[in-house]
Amino acid sequence: MTVKTMSFQVLTERYNQFVLITDRVERAVAESGVKDGMVTVLSMHTTTGIAVNESLECLESDLEQFLARLVPEDRPYAHARMLKDYGSTAGNPTGHLKSHITGNHCHFFIENGKMVRGGAQDIYFCEFDGPSQRTIRVQIVG
Amino acid sequence: MTGRAALTGSMRKEVCALFIDMHVHPAFFEPINEDPVREEMRHNVLNIHRNGTAPLEHVFHQMDCAGLDRLCLLPQDYTTQTGTAVVTNEEIKKLVDLASGRFIGFASVDPFLDGAAQRLEHAFADLGLRGLKLHPSRQHFYPSDPRLAPVYDICERYGRPIVFHSGLSWEPDTLSKYSRPIEFEELAYKRPKLRLCLAHFGWPWVRETAMLLVKYPNLYADTGALYFDSAREFYKRLFTEEIPLTWLDRSLRHQVMFGSNNPRFEQIRMAEAIGRLGLRDSTLDLIRGGNAVEFLGGSV
Repeated sequence: MTVKTMSFQVLTERYNQFVLITDRVERAVAESGVKDGMVTVLSMHTTTGIAVNESLECLESDLEQFLARLVPEDRPYAHARMLKDYGSTAGNPTGHLKSHITGNHCHFFIENGKMVRGGAQDIYFCEFDGPSQRTIRVQIVG
Repeated sequence: MTGRAALTGSMRKEVCALFIDMHVHPAFFEPINEDPVREEMRHNVLNIHRNGTAPLEHVFHQMDCAGLDRLCLLPQDYTTQTGTAVVTNEEIKKLVDLASGRFIGFASVDPFLDGAAQRLEHAFADLGLRGLKLHPSRQHFYPSDPRLAPVYDICERYGRPIVFHSGLSWEPDTLSKYSRPIEFEELAYKRPKLRLCLAHFGWPWVRETAMLLVKYPNLYADTGALYFDSAREFYKRLFTEEIPLTWLDRSLRHQVMFGSNNPRFEQIRMAEAIGRLGLRDSTLDLIRGGNAVEFLGGSV
């Protein structure tokens, strides 16, 4: 069995942002040399998400609005407090909750050296506490 | 009549267009963290952890999200306490030079080292730094301590302001008694030409800070306070309950400057929260930028 792991970084620019990473994952699969297996894409953070959806501007807007309705900024969240281990204020409860809803990873099959995805499927890195420098880990097993 | 009255109408208009964060610690900006030993030292000395380092591109993204035009960078020289400056004046100069006018650089000196006044003069005259940052709680002195006189003299001679830490500090080895707002009264009284900022609004002694501001026109305060709750909740508590909003909107409107104390506190959310308090637009413009320009001597 072959296991190949790599990571890449994304520098997000906005507080909430959907960043397409399909190309980077497909490139990692191609460079791995794995013919048949699986790829896992994982965010290394707790205020971000990994999502699979159709890459349309309208859907990105709907998703952002949907999450904002579920997790409004103006609520008395318990996480809004000073964290002594960090020495800083935790102002990002909404980011954690949106991350919880979205999930932090996705999987795809690999067949004949290529990632198999449906015609409308793309991979998004979802920023919920930006801007920030984020790390995404990709593991290919085959 | 204070210096602020000297601003012309057109200058005032230009001033009000800027949004300035007057309280930013750049200890974890990437260009000055090439040495991992120094980065580790900064985490420990400042008691800020798990935050990593920030490329300038990220800092600019953060400014854009907050709507900020300028950041005032504050270094810390605690050599007596920690054996080294946390961020040096030269590092501040390096960052200012990299930022195409988006950063305003302040100096820091350890007032108890030989040659402190000369080092400060070098920072003003040769490095072009715009003011001085001191932390009485960490550097263990009262603001009226006569040993500080040579440093204050340099600031007066160059017309450069001083940002003092005031109130609670999350840094280790700090004693709040040294930076309680009332301790700054003697200095403000004896040196009326010296512009002084009580950072963090002197929290928790907020009324004491308000008392000093209304009495001494050379005193300013920044809004770098977020010790409990969210930015919206804490600013509401601070500026509508601990003191009424009318005090800020009427009597203190020319003496309060926006400051976030980033990276310890939440720059973007604090920048948003200050705008939600219900202040008059003209007061908000002063707090966002106009007062900072005056504090800095009339230009940025």
